Amino acid sequence: MPPSRGILAVATRSSTGLPKSQWDVLPFRPAQPASFSTTACLAASGPPRKGKKAIRNLKAARQSAGRPPAPGERKALRKRVVLSNTNALEVSGLEDLDAKAIGKESSRCQMFGLPGPVVDSLRAVEAFKPTQGWRMFRSASVLWREQSIRLAQIMTDLAKLKSPETRRMVLAGEKGTGKSVMLLQAMAIAFMKKWIVINIPDAKDLTNAHTEYAPVPGTSPQQYIQRSYVANFLAQIAKANAGVLSQLQLSMQHDLSIPVQSNISLDRFADLGAKDLDLAWPIFLSLWAELTGPGRPPILFTLDNLNFIMRHSEYLGRDLKPVHAHDLSLVRHFVDHLSGARTLPNGGLVMAATTGSNKPSSPILDLAIRQSEARIQGLTGEAVPQWDPYRPGDERSLQSMADLEVFDIKGLSRDEARGILEYYAASGMLRQAVDQRLVAEKWTISGGGIIGELERGALRMRP
Amino acid sequence: MSVSRPAQARFRAAIPIRPRFRPNFVIRSNRTFSDAKDDAKPSPEVKGPNMDQLPHVSEEAAATAKITGEKGPDLQQGTPIQEILQGDKSAQEHMPKVIKDEIKPSNPKGSRSFSTSARRPTETIPQPTTARQEPAVQETESLIPGIRIPTDHRLRQRYDPLVHQVTNLLMRDGKLGVAQRNMAEILNHLRTSPPPTPSPQRPLLPGSPPPSHLPLNPTLYMTVAIDSVAPLLRIRAERGAAGGGVALQIPIPLGQRQRRRQAVQWILDAASKRKNRGSGRGGFAQRVAEELIAVAEGRSGVWERRGVVHKLGVSARVNLNSKRR
Repeated sequence: MPPSRGILAVATRSSTGLPKSQWDVLPFRPAQPASFSTTACLAASGPPRKGKKAIRNLKAARQSAGRPPAPGERKALRKRVVLSNTNALEVSGLEDLDAKAIGKESSRCQMFGLPGPVVDSLRAVEAFKPTQGWRMFRSASVLWREQSIRLAQIMTDLAKLKSPETRRMVLAGEKGTGKSVMLLQAMAIAFMKKWIVINIPDAKDLTNAHTEYAPVPGTSPQQYIQRSYVANFLAQIAKANAGVLSQLQLSMQHDLSIPVQSNISLDRFADLGAKDLDLAWPIFLSLWAELTGPGRPPILFTLDNLNFIMRHSEYLGRDLKPVHAHDLSLVRHFVDHLSGARTLPNGGLVMAATTGSNKPSSPILDLAIRQSEARIQGLTGEAVPQWDPYRPGDERSLQSMADLEVFDIKGLSRDEARGILEYYAASGMLRQAVDQRLVAEKWTISGGGIIGELERGALRMRP
Repeated sequence: MSVSRPAQARFRAAIPIRPRFRPNFVIRSNRTFSDAKDDAKPSPEVKGPNMDQLPHVSEEAAATAKITGEKGPDLQQGTPIQEILQGDKSAQEHMPKVIKDEIKPSNPKGSRSFSTSARRPTETIPQPTTARQEPAVQETESLIPGIRIPTDHRLRQRYDPLVHQVTNLLMRDGKLGVAQRNMAEILNHLRTSPPPTPSPQRPLLPGSPPPSHLPLNPTLYMTVAIDSVAPLLRIRAERGAAGGGVALQIPIPLGQRQRRRQAVQWILDAASKRKNRGSGRGGFAQRVAEELIAVAEGRSGVWERRGVVHKLGVSARVNLNSKRR
């Protein structure tokens, strides 16, 4: 409050019959009361004397130009995902992904376009990342590589099982090997198979203390909910799965603070939580109970950037100690399913992808991946790497990663590299003839077909 | 010197007298005056090998016409050889092949064997030469039997020359990696933005491809934009040459690399004055790319800078003859 208003307040109070202010007892009343401010603005003399240069305020001059960006506008531009380039050539003969062709061996090394509704759903769950190269091509297409086919087969087999089963896996691999795009492919398959897709696009957003958090009373260890994140999360779920959820209706009684129509469709139910921050978390739990009830479709529950939740978060607890990521309710919900503590009664897949870039240290996660590799090689006993008992470690992360299937993603094979290079050339982005020599060159330079590096080497750095 | 000397000796000249050279033709070339005395007509008794000739055909025809009372050819004007040969059968048979060839195919009307229009030296767009354009492999005998090494087997430029130059100009604090990333970002922006609509007032370089071809070849796009706005010259201020402490401005032509460098500097200046719309890294690259598009569309202020230099160059043309100190 500026000082003059404070003085005014004192004066009015004295005039309304309250105890007289100190001004009345003072021997004289100063014409101008002393300022609270200690800055030297009043002491500043007028214009500079002759021969002295005035200091120009460059910053003020710069700020005055034009309209300042609205809050969030610059970030929105940074995070914008463009999925089409009208300059790129239409690739003739490019087929859209077909539910029948998904798991077929013949679709190996082929590019497939993503159908429009699937693209909309994937966009709603933020499966596309701004760092990926979607903006260069006419339409969003993906390479069907060997591991994609394996993944598709796993999902097809899961759907065929008589007794539903929950499969849990972690996608690991070097930077740029296509882990996030593999998640995207899993989501695309799930959307086409009419599964329910629930995706946490970036675990970093949950743990970097950029979103509000509040303690959940009566929990030990103390749990925290992130209301605004969950509200947005519910909106994403409702939008992406609208086709499936609009056909499903509420079937249970839920103890909520608002009256809810008994046969409301599940997408509208999720929207209720998206609109009210206080209701977001209770409605998420109720929605989850509905989705895992009898007769519901399988669920694909995914999370990207797993490294960020296998450690302490950036939040501080009441005791001013960092909050473990597993004490954040939504993270805990995912980790329970990933570790197998909770299962999906209607079957489904719980997947997480590690991050290769901007990678926070998580020694537990590294160990878990090494252990899984050892198990795949058939090692037992002491040959399997163990945590050094004398080293202080994160026991909770270790337990949650104890028994996991690790899907190690390596570089592309040469055939697959040729498939994607031909797509680049057909799109007009790669201005070279794709022959054996070029494929060999690009494959080698990209560290043995690391697809991110392949794209960098063929398109970005050498246009 | 005594009187007893003979008379011949007394009149002997210091320079021996030679008989005067009398040509059988009249030399008039160096004469700036007329002297009837010296206009000696060749004496009829002395005849050179070319002198006993028939009159010119036109003269002959004129003489014949005069006899027959007809109107002969105008002797003031030359008669084209073709006209002469028209009526002469035997001359047509024996005329040189060059004339035969010229006469035979009757040229279509309106076509000329020579050009009456001044030809401009065409400015051509240098096609970006990239490393991927494989040179003709010339193999030479190798020291190692069985292995043939191409003659051009050496370290080549990894990038297009202009891309290389612009990358280096983008670089700050020696951070080449950042500059390369920015360069890639610029070219990607050019690839994904709609084709430019060039303005007729500020056309692109003659011979440049149609605008719709540019986005898919971003290197060429950048080359066309930079080369179109690159100045042809710079102004060197020669101090004291004009006298009175005034600098004499002298236009100096620039080489291709120098021209491009100046244009890129201007474009980078203009880009740094643009406002950053997004946040995070890559903002500057985006601004440079937008400036390049503005150049291609004739909207950029860089064109004015080029115009100022060219105008100054024209007015300072007069100073070109001044001696450089």
